[in-house]
Amino acid sequence: MAEKLRETPLLDELEKGPWPSFVTEIKKSAVKNSMANDQLGILERSYKDRIGHWKHGGLVGVMGYGGGVIGRYSDLPEEYPECAEFHTIRVNQPAGWFYTSDVLRKLCNVWEKHGSGLTNMHGSTGDIIFLGAKTEALEPVFADLIDMGFDLGGSGSDVRTPSCCCGQARCEWACYDTMGFTYNLTQHFQDELHRPAFPYKFKFKMAGCANDCVASVARSDMSIIGTWREDIKVDQGEIAEYAKTVNIADDVADRCPTGCISWDGKTFDIDNANCVKCMHCINVMPKALAPGDEKGATILLGAKAPIIGGALLASVLVPFVEMGEENYEDIYELAEEIWDVWGEHGMNRERVGEFIQRVGMGNFLEQVGLDPEPEMIMHPRTNPYIFFELDEEED
Amino acid sequence: MATKEEVAEAMFNMVKEYHGKKNLKALDLTKAMIEKFGDEACDKKLCKKAIRELVDNGKCTYSYVGGSYIVLPPEE
Amino acid sequence: MAEKAKRKTDIGPPNHEQFLPPVIKKNYGKWKHHEIPQPGVLVHTAHSGDKLYSVRAASARLMSIETIRLFADIADEFCGGHLRFTSRNNVEFLLDNEANVKPIIEKLSSEGYPVGGTGASITNIVHTQGWVHCHSAATDASGVVKSIMDDLFPYFDGTTKLPAKLRIAFACCLNMCGAVHCSDIAILGVHRRAPHIKHEQVNAQCEIPSTVSACPTGAIRPTTVDGVDSVEVIEERCMFCANCYTVCPAMTLNDPVNDGLSIWVGGKVSNARHEPMFSKLAIPFIPNNPPRWPETVEAVRNIVEIYAANARNYERVGEWIERIGWPQFFKLTGIEFTKYHIDDFKHAGETFKRSMHFRQSQ
Repeated sequence: MAEKLRETPLLDELEKGPWPSFVTEIKKSAVKNSMANDQLGILERSYKDRIGHWKHGGLVGVMGYGGGVIGRYSDLPEEYPECAEFHTIRVNQPAGWFYTSDVLRKLCNVWEKHGSGLTNMHGSTGDIIFLGAKTEALEPVFADLIDMGFDLGGSGSDVRTPSCCCGQARCEWACYDTMGFTYNLTQHFQDELHRPAFPYKFKFKMAGCANDCVASVARSDMSIIGTWREDIKVDQGEIAEYAKTVNIADDVADRCPTGCISWDGKTFDIDNANCVKCMHCINVMPKALAPGDEKGATILLGAKAPIIGGALLASVLVPFVEMGEENYEDIYELAEEIWDVWGEHGMNRERVGEFIQRVGMGNFLEQVGLDPEPEMIMHPRTNPYIFFELDEEED
Repeated sequence: MATKEEVAEAMFNMVKEYHGKKNLKALDLTKAMIEKFGDEACDKKLCKKAIRELVDNGKCTYSYVGGSYIVLPPEE
Repeated sequence: MAEKAKRKTDIGPPNHEQFLPPVIKKNYGKWKHHEIPQPGVLVHTAHSGDKLYSVRAASARLMSIETIRLFADIADEFCGGHLRFTSRNNVEFLLDNEANVKPIIEKLSSEGYPVGGTGASITNIVHTQGWVHCHSAATDASGVVKSIMDDLFPYFDGTTKLPAKLRIAFACCLNMCGAVHCSDIAILGVHRRAPHIKHEQVNAQCEIPSTVSACPTGAIRPTTVDGVDSVEVIEERCMFCANCYTVCPAMTLNDPVNDGLSIWVGGKVSNARHEPMFSKLAIPFIPNNPPRWPETVEAVRNIVEIYAANARNYERVGEWIERIGWPQFFKLTGIEFTKYHIDDFKHAGETFKRSMHFRQSQ
């Protein structure tokens, strides 16, 4: 049905300029969809009032699930009745965010039939976001999604939708099959993803190399980043080609964090024993340099945003693991060990990174059955307050 | 071992008892049930099945208030 | 209730393999190298000699299904229906035919989706929902992002060069549903007033003990208002984190006059050269000024321009500042340094200067 668009003098200012406009996007749906039109109206109202008009609440999923839907209600239901209920549905994306035109159209048809027609491609965790569903639409959307082979993502105190870089599908630097592993992992932990049973959320992100295009080191409780152990592969012929356009001394050798590159204008030499696999030289000269053999990954743990104990970057838990399909099960077991310990002793809303800070990394390692290794720290402690164990033998 | 149905029933009674007083997480229910039935008769796996039973048959539902809880379904 | 049919659940996401273009299926895990022949285009070459052309276009992230259908049509016309989205919300069309690169770029540009964002550029701003859909937003996200990207557009389409890639992220409150804490430039919505407590709703909507324990500074205490149980906030102890609001919807911090934005610089997630770094505070507060937030746009452009003029090749913002020192950063950018820049949360002392290493000469 054709809609008469809400008046939006303030938002109209955001249709100007070269960057694609989200206001134009909302209008594209609003001309056909009354929910999107009221959403346009309430957003204009926020621009006028300088405050948001949304409330959060209770609703979390479809029948049987405890995640995948975020309940959202407006605080102006009389004035904007069609978006009074405007819930978010998180739809688990295919690994690497690859689509065919055919499957995208099917997703659009589902969302045209039941919702506002507005989406995020994609949400911050990686899901396809259907933005704006009425409560009565949740079950029908879910049924249609399942029919076409899609399922909901995570929300609340569960495994959040795992996501990854495009890995070996396109990238020569990917040291393991991020997409294959992410698909396998997501299937393996379906119950943990749909039925929240943790103290708080737990995110997995998979990056194929230390460039970390999915920001896993900053944004995931368990970050699995590809790396390698053998020497960087060097093609001296291609180096000579790069030397014509790249200042190899300044922009490659001098930028090496461990100074392990020597370049005399003819031969490019790497002291591989001192290379920390940071990716810089490979990034600058991708035709000449490539990650070495014996590839695998490092597992890091505990990244999070500030709420509530302060932001954390992930830290090294397992310096090197092989990442063949036969190794996946070991990683799942490690994750389950971690959930057991954190589930037993973690507090409500305490992320695993905060939990480790509270109980101590040494204790945590003992509990999950890992040995302490010097790769886990920047440097040993500087304070002398060691919790010596009481059963330590007397000398 | 206790049955999944027995544990689910005990969980349901606990959720009813705490309704309006304290929200319970899956972990709270699990710890309470292992305590109640003893670790010979009840473990985490059984509790997981019992929670799924409770939620799948609609006797309880999940809710989110800064964390995920298992609650009585909202009254229609 | 009638007996329900057995529900199908827990099927998980579809397997990605069915959506990959033939050139990717054939060369999966066998790519050799890549080049960026022009802004917005990546060419990956496989060991087999096959080539994949990825054409990267801007998107608003908030997308109508009409636009997704348009992208589907474009993909059908030029690349066998194959496309993907990036971790920064761009759309990428995946071509195996070089002859279609120029026409698809023209088509995308004519539809309002310009290409760019590759290499040493500014690409799409990772951002959150803001006033579009969030209950705790201190500002809008999409509007500020649109205004900044309009202004920085020459850095996206390759007209203006940068020393290295520059990643911007935006989050509309401290929950930070985006990698704001580790971005070259981060814009963060902030509240500056303690929660407004709707006492008549606290008892009905909130669990008082968990609301009290939600406060990291112990600023919330149980109390009784007009004979009904509620909570009170010691305002001097509030650091405006809004953790209480997440567990108790009757305690909103949203405020039309006092909410606004802060700007942070020098974070990164990549391990290239320097280890990953947090973003650090540059500007504690800029008021909300919709619809186009000119003060915020100006502040971001200033930092970008000073960085572009002073950094060395491949030096990210944080690496550049580490080389020149923070006093010089504040001097060059003209940003005022205040007491708010000095940490006073846990372990604050770790950020104090404890050496004689200064650039004192004029």
